[in-house]
Amino acid sequence: MSGDDDRVAVTLAEWPDDADSDEGVVVNWFVREGATVEASQSLCEVQIEKVSVDVLAPVDGTLVEVVRGEDDEFERGDTLAWMEEE
Amino acid sequence: MSQQTQRVERELTMSRAMVEAIATEMRDDDEVFYMGEDVADYGGIFDSTEGLREEFGYDRVMDVPISETAYIGAAVGAAQLGMRPIAELMFVDFFGVAMDQIYNQLAKNTYMSGGNVSVPMVLTAAVGGTYNDAAQHSQTLYGTFAHVPGMKVVVPSTAYEAKGLMHNAIRDDDPVVYMFHKRLMGIGWLPAPDGPKTPVPETDYTIPFGSADVKREGDDVTVVTLGLHVHRALEAAENLADGGVSAEVVDLRSLVPLDTDTIVESVEKTGNLVVVDEDYRSFGVTGEVVASVADEALGALDSVERVAVPDVPIPYSRPLENEVVPDVDDIEAAVERTQ
Repeated sequence: MSGDDDRVAVTLAEWPDDADSDEGVVVNWFVREGATVEASQSLCEVQIEKVSVDVLAPVDGTLVEVVRGEDDEFERGDTLAWMEEE
Repeated sequence: MSQQTQRVERELTMSRAMVEAIATEMRDDDEVFYMGEDVADYGGIFDSTEGLREEFGYDRVMDVPISETAYIGAAVGAAQLGMRPIAELMFVDFFGVAMDQIYNQLAKNTYMSGGNVSVPMVLTAAVGGTYNDAAQHSQTLYGTFAHVPGMKVVVPSTAYEAKGLMHNAIRDDDPVVYMFHKRLMGIGWLPAPDGPKTPVPETDYTIPFGSADVKREGDDVTVVTLGLHVHRALEAAENLADGGVSAEVVDLRSLVPLDTDTIVESVEKTGNLVVVDEDYRSFGVTGEVVASVADEALGALDSVERVAVPDVPIPYSRPLENEVVPDVDDIEAAVERTQ
C-alpha cells in the first residue's frame, strides 16, 4: 500500500436501500487481476442479505489487486479491489 | 475450449452466459420470447432470466400461471406458427404435469404433420441435486428426456458451453431441451464448484450439438460424463494423476445427438470406460453410453464401470443425499477398479 496516486478504490457505489445489514459477501469475480476493463463494466457480484448487486469499474484501466475474494465478507464502504486508471 | 480465439478479459457465471445468449437472440429476432414461472420480475429462481424483463418488457418475458401443460402447450403452438419460444420448467421434476405436451406434442408434431410444421422452441429446465431439496426437486432426468425421439437434449457444463449451446438451441428449427444444473449457475446461495465460471467471448458463437468435448486428455481410462459431474470427474482425474493414473474426461455436452465417435475414439486409446451420471442408474445415460461403445468397439473394452444414482428417490437428508449422488471419491474408486 504505497499510496500510489493513480490507484482507484473499487467499492459498491450504492448500498441497497432496503438492506438492514451493513455487511455483504462477495459472490463472483468476473475479471482477474491484471485484466483491462472499461468504466462501468461489471467487476464482481456481491450479495447483501438476499439481494445480488454488481460492483462496476469506476474508471477505464487495469484491475491490479483484488482485496476481497469470493466468499469473503465486507462492510459498507470497504475497498473490494484496486484499479489503476488508464 | 479450443474454439476460443479472441482475447477475453472477463469471465461469466453460467447463468450470465445463458442470459447473454438469450438477450442477443431476442435483440436480433422479435419472434424470440421467454415464458415460465417467476422468469419476469424474479429473473428466474436460478437466475436463468436475470435482467431480461427489464430490457424486453412483459410481452416478451412472461410470467405464467402454474400450469406447465398450458404454457408449454402454448409454446408448442407459437413455435408451430413461426415464433421461437423459450419455455422454462422451473424444476425438471415438474415435467410430469406436462408430459403429453412434451412427449406427444413438442416431440412429435413435426413427424405427425408429415413435416408440415416444425417446432422451433427451446424447453429450458433446472436440473440436479446436491443442495437438500428432496426427491421431487433434485433429479436430473437426463435419460427421461433423451429417451423419446424428436427432441434434442443439451447439458452445458461451463459458461462457455452455456452460451454457445443456447445460441445453437434458439436457432435450431427443432425442439431443444436445454437442461442447466442449478449447482453450476453461480448463485450466491448455491455456490458453484471451481470450473463453470469461464472466459466467455462477447460476440455470439455456436457449439454444434453432437460434439462432445475432451476436457482433459489421458491414456489409461475414459471418463464420460456431463453437467455438474464434469467438474467432479476433472477433480478426480487430478487426484488420480498423483497416483499415476491418467484419466481422459469427456464432456458429452449433448445427449441427443450423442457423439459416439468421440467416446469410441477415446476408448480405443484407453481401453477402459467409466460413465458418470447424476441420473438414476437403470435405463439411463450410463447404460446407453456403455451399449453404444459396445456396439461400435466391443473389442476395445477391457473394463467398464457405471457410476450413477442408485435406483432410489434422492433423499432430503444431507448425509444420505451425499451418499447417493456420485462424488469425487466414487469416481476415483470406479477408475481404480478398471486399472
